[in-house]
Amino acid sequence: MSGENSFEPRIIGFLCRWCSYQGADLAGTSRRHYPSNMVPVRVMCSGRVDPTFVLKAIADGADGVLICGCHPGDCHYQSGNFNAMRRYPLLMKALEQFGIEKERVRLEWISASESEKFALVVKEMTETVRRLGPLEWNRRVFQKGQRKT
Amino acid sequence: MAKLKLALYWAATCGGCEVAVLDLNEKILDVAAAADIYLWPVAMDYKYKDAEAWPDKFIDVCLFNGAIRNSEGEHLAKLLRAKSKVMVAFGSCACFGGIPGLANVADREGVFARVYGETPSTDNRDGTRPQTSFAVPEGELTLPHFYDTVKTLGQTVPVDYFLPGCPPAAKQIWAVVQAIVAGQLPPPGSFVGVAEKSVCEECPRVKEEKKVTAFLRPHQVIPQPEKCLLEQGLVCCGPATRGGCGAQCINANMPCRGCYGPTERVTDQGAKMLSAIASIIDASDEAGVKKVVDQIVDPLGTFYRFGLPNSLLTRVRV
Amino acid sequence: MQRVTIDPITRLEGHGKIEIFLDEAGEVANAYFQVPELRGFERFCEGRPVEELPRITPRICGV
Repeated sequence: MSGENSFEPRIIGFLCRWCSYQGADLAGTSRRHYPSNMVPVRVMCSGRVDPTFVLKAIADGADGVLICGCHPGDCHYQSGNFNAMRRYPLLMKALEQFGIEKERVRLEWISASESEKFALVVKEMTETVRRLGPLEWNRRVFQKGQRKT
Repeated sequence: MAKLKLALYWAATCGGCEVAVLDLNEKILDVAAAADIYLWPVAMDYKYKDAEAWPDKFIDVCLFNGAIRNSEGEHLAKLLRAKSKVMVAFGSCACFGGIPGLANVADREGVFARVYGETPSTDNRDGTRPQTSFAVPEGELTLPHFYDTVKTLGQTVPVDYFLPGCPPAAKQIWAVVQAIVAGQLPPPGSFVGVAEKSVCEECPRVKEEKKVTAFLRPHQVIPQPEKCLLEQGLVCCGPATRGGCGAQCINANMPCRGCYGPTERVTDQGAKMLSAIASIIDASDEAGVKKVVDQIVDPLGTFYRFGLPNSLLTRVRV
Repeated sequence: MQRVTIDPITRLEGHGKIEIFLDEAGEVANAYFQVPELRGFERFCEGRPVEELPRITPRICGV
């Protein structure tokens, strides 16, 4: 895949099982249209999303990563999404040092009823990442070295 | 019992690991009694061609320190791997990339441009750069190929044991030497001379509830000697770092920078450190969190200080 | 022209290599000293906080 028009970004979405995944479900049952570029991964809580997950997704070829959790105060486990909120800006700071544009990794609060917001976020993010072009860490960046194992 | 055949080599390194071997002090005589050294460029006069002439698996144990920075390092790693029964990645550079691995913030062009062009003390009006091959009137001179990316020893050749540390603590080296002499090494692929748990387990400081409202730099605080450095707002990599060093830096009132690498179950040391630091930030709204995070000036250079080539991303995109 | 290669130079800190060229009489005609190692501290110290440099630059030479 090369050229701006033919590039289809691959975005990994970590969706909290209680709110955001339900929001995605509702988007589906409500027949809302949004791009199919995001591959959802259901996690129990946005607080479960270790920065390692994001780095692993990028290292294995994702062009963007979306993390969605319950709105602050609504966490099923009370404080899980606050952990996500605390990790995200520090992770972003490190990712910028790695040469990764901050638009490629996004944290959003999406409740079970916000299917419209969910569809909008996925659409926006797909377009933003499409504009940024392929990241292809697994091919372009590792090429400068040698992939371990 | 026949004496062990030992080889010590250094690739991209500082020589501190060689000195760490000498830090065994008088026990070095016991090493000499149990083993004959066949290659040790810093201390003895052997040439590469001597090593090339050995039969395969001639050496019993090779202690290889330094990261793989250029084609010479890679060649020697492959050569010594073939000639050695047991290959030990000795020190943080060989295990994780170490300080030379920080050069993965740039590529070859970035390093050359700075070193041979831009530094204030560089006077190189002709723009001379190292050449892999250069013709002089008498013949051809060659230099190794400088890679874009620093690699660990384990990313270059199969490694039997990893002995991390910058440098490895003398008592750990001694424990490993004894295990080698006694033939009591653990299964290949293991880390040796390390603790199972994190540096925090070895740290003698008092640890209470970790809630940090501000991260401080050294000119802003004189750390108390008894209290956890993280709780005092100093970034300390102890929680994400394997123990075994005896918390040497922390005992000198300096925070840990992670030279023993990640603990057994951690994939990416920097990511775990990010997580650990984030979890102690005492703020519950985005603006408050951002204010604290802004005080951490160099996450990449701090959390990946000794392990950038060993990380999931391995290098910076340039 | 005869050539004598000393690779590596031993019993010092760092990497070095010497190429010596001899003339017909066996006398040294020319010699070249080469350093086949570079780590790039000049580059990767950039961007690090100044208070961290006392913990990075000692690794220029540990001997």
